[in-house]
Amino acid sequence: MKVNFNLNGQNVSYDINPGEYLADTLRSHSFLSVKKACDEAACGACTVLLDGRPILSCSYLSARAEGKNVTTVEAVQDDVDEISNFFADEGADQCGFCNTGLALTIFALRKELKNPTDEDIKHFVVGNLCRCSGYQAQFKAIKKYLEAHK
Amino acid sequence: MEANRYLRPATLQEAYQILSEDAKNVLLGGGLWLKKATPSANALVDLSALGLDDIKDLGDAIEVGAMVSLRDFELSPLLKNIQGGILIEAVSQIMGVAFRNGATIGGSVAGRFPFSDIITPLLALETKVVFYPYKEMSLKDFLSFKGRVSDILTHIVIKKSKGPSFFKKVKTTALDFAVINVAIAKVNEEYRIAIGSRPSVASLTIKAMELANNGQKLTEELIAKVAELTSEELVFASTGSASAEYRKVLAKTYVKRGLEEVSK
Repeated sequence: MKVNFNLNGQNVSYDINPGEYLADTLRSHSFLSVKKACDEAACGACTVLLDGRPILSCSYLSARAEGKNVTTVEAVQDDVDEISNFFADEGADQCGFCNTGLALTIFALRKELKNPTDEDIKHFVVGNLCRCSGYQAQFKAIKKYLEAHK
Repeated sequence: MEANRYLRPATLQEAYQILSEDAKNVLLGGGLWLKKATPSANALVDLSALGLDDIKDLGDAIEVGAMVSLRDFELSPLLKNIQGGILIEAVSQIMGVAFRNGATIGGSVAGRFPFSDIITPLLALETKVVFYPYKEMSLKDFLSFKGRVSDILTHIVIKKSKGPSFFKKVKTTALDFAVINVAIAKVNEEYRIAIGSRPSVASLTIKAMELANNGQKLTEELIAKVAELTSEELVFASTGSASAEYRKVLAKTYVKRGLEEVSK
């Protein structure tokens, strides 16, 4: 079957299987920034934005994206570069596998929450797991990124 | 997952017809547990074109469409006002924001998931479930209904109530299923106590509630008795994450703390 949606500002039309998930569709079209790790809606590595809100693309059927706007890190490169720089400054990066999903979640957080408290920030990013770093350095980096956009 | 067709019917009647045609036609909620629960299907039936994503104020109750996401449920000002915000507190502890943007309230309730953190407080309140073809029943009756329900859950209706409430999800990490969850609400001067993830699906503690509501003042001694009765009345079982004995102790402890809090 066909699915038509807007991907990073461009209308696309892809052939998909009815039971195919969005992470697989995007990766098969070379959007390898969309990571697959747990593949069961538990880790956040596959996060993309659907109409501006973070979703888990490993567990979102591609057919459901019909007529919607899908955003991967490629479309918000400036913000992602900025987030990456704050991460580097805090030493929050190690393997980097979770970064693209987390960066999109942080970007969505900035758009959705005005003046978030520390608890609000943690609550928003809790679904994005990182197995390398612990979370303190990432948390500091997120706060500095948000501070820079006040 | 393996599926032959994906369908987005334009009416409930059409959706019901498709589901009736073949037992391997599967109704989609948010689909977050789909690949685990249902590795293959004939047709996937998506209700997202049926306008079931609204939260409406009915006056004495709030009606929530089955396709409302858990995140929209969490952010709803209408639901925030019910019973001290117990529903928001519970739903916001389910996985992360991206998960809740995908998962639906209908999927969460229709699935009757034993680990559900939202069924427990809904049960402690007065909640009805509405199906197509038209039928409604209390959430309590739905949870104890044996067998498969082939009708389509379209809405849940939560009676408005005010008063103190308590919710506790015991978990090992932020994203784990509850080892146990406890919801207590004082609705119209009556205490309602529900316990879920024991690990079976949430239940009201009928005998313990009778004792708590027998007209006596809830003293420290009576609270201890109610808590004890709760742990005796319900069935607790062991899983990899916790033993039955541990769950029992947790239930007793949090019913006691919860009652102390809501009876202040």
